[in-house]
Amino acid sequence: MTVKIRFFARFRELLGTDIVTDVAPGTMFTSLITSVAKKTPEGYAAIFDETGAFHEFVILMRNGKRIDIADADKTVIADGDEIAVFPPVAGG
Amino acid sequence: MFSQRELERYKRQMMLFGEEGQERLKKAHIFITGAGGLGSPVSIYLAVAGIGTITIIDMDVVDQTNLNRQILHYDRDIGRKKTASAEEKLQELNPDIIINAIDVKIDESNAINLIGNADGIVDAMDNYPTRYLLNDVAIAKKIPLFHGGIRGFYGQATTIIPGTTPCLKCIFPKAPPKEVFPVVGVTPGIIGTIQANEVIKYLTDSGELLLGRLFIWDGLQSHGEEICVERNPACKACGGMTTKKTIPGKKK
Repeated sequence: MTVKIRFFARFRELLGTDIVTDVAPGTMFTSLITSVAKKTPEGYAAIFDETGAFHEFVILMRNGKRIDIADADKTVIADGDEIAVFPPVAGG
Repeated sequence: MFSQRELERYKRQMMLFGEEGQERLKKAHIFITGAGGLGSPVSIYLAVAGIGTITIIDMDVVDQTNLNRQILHYDRDIGRKKTASAEEKLQELNPDIIINAIDVKIDESNAINLIGNADGIVDAMDNYPTRYLLNDVAIAKKIPLFHGGIRGFYGQATTIIPGTTPCLKCIFPKAPPKEVFPVVGVTPGIIGTIQANEVIKYLTDSGELLLGRLFIWDGLQSHGEEICVERNPACKACGGMTTKKTIPGKKK
């Protein structure tokens, strides 16, 4: 099955965006984003901490609906999912 | 009632929302938190649009490194209080409005009193702890909050009607780490102008506000898009809150 991952803002600079990838049925959110983020060390470090958990400020959405990062490691990806991953931007 | 000068000044925009709409702008009091990158375009456009009372707060002094983006302040203002510089420029842009420029650090102890009975709060801050404070006051007083944030070539904006739309904590429950953020002046120019546009639309009941929609701007791609955002029923800031207030600009 195929899903699309959309990174925003700084995540996009480090990892690109609109990444279409094949995933095996039963893949969890956290493992998918982890494998895609590992494309660059900076990209991975921007999204995950040294224990491999999402930084607490990261926003995850599936098809426009929010997924709590605390639940991302037990949330199964579905075929055709569009996943958005973004940081809040803080400057003013 | 408008003077002849005001009628001339606002002629081209009264073609959009009439004298009645202009009257609503004149009666409004908008509270802008910050006279920096976002606060500059927000306050300039709201001043020239004829918002009757603008309160703008800041605690900083103009620094040379501000000048690539904070267009309220000029080279000659370096070392001056941002509030003094802002008041001078805004009053020169429009002598027919009231500018309250307050040199203060907003915190839990003074936020409610500073914001008073403003008709809207514009988030032109550069950090999340203060944004969460504005969010709390907006919820407590049921005042709309016009959010904007920027970094580099990227920006985001949304309009928060407490009790109806998601609040800032529903959308961004945790603050990103503090940093000296990179930025080019056009990014707050774009996002601040969107915030000012939202304020004008809200007050004149025009169009569709960014309600439940997070606008995301990618200046490198010259691409804007929006993400639907929803209230979090378990939100620590606004969970359980309801409002029956009608929302200007919301047609549904």
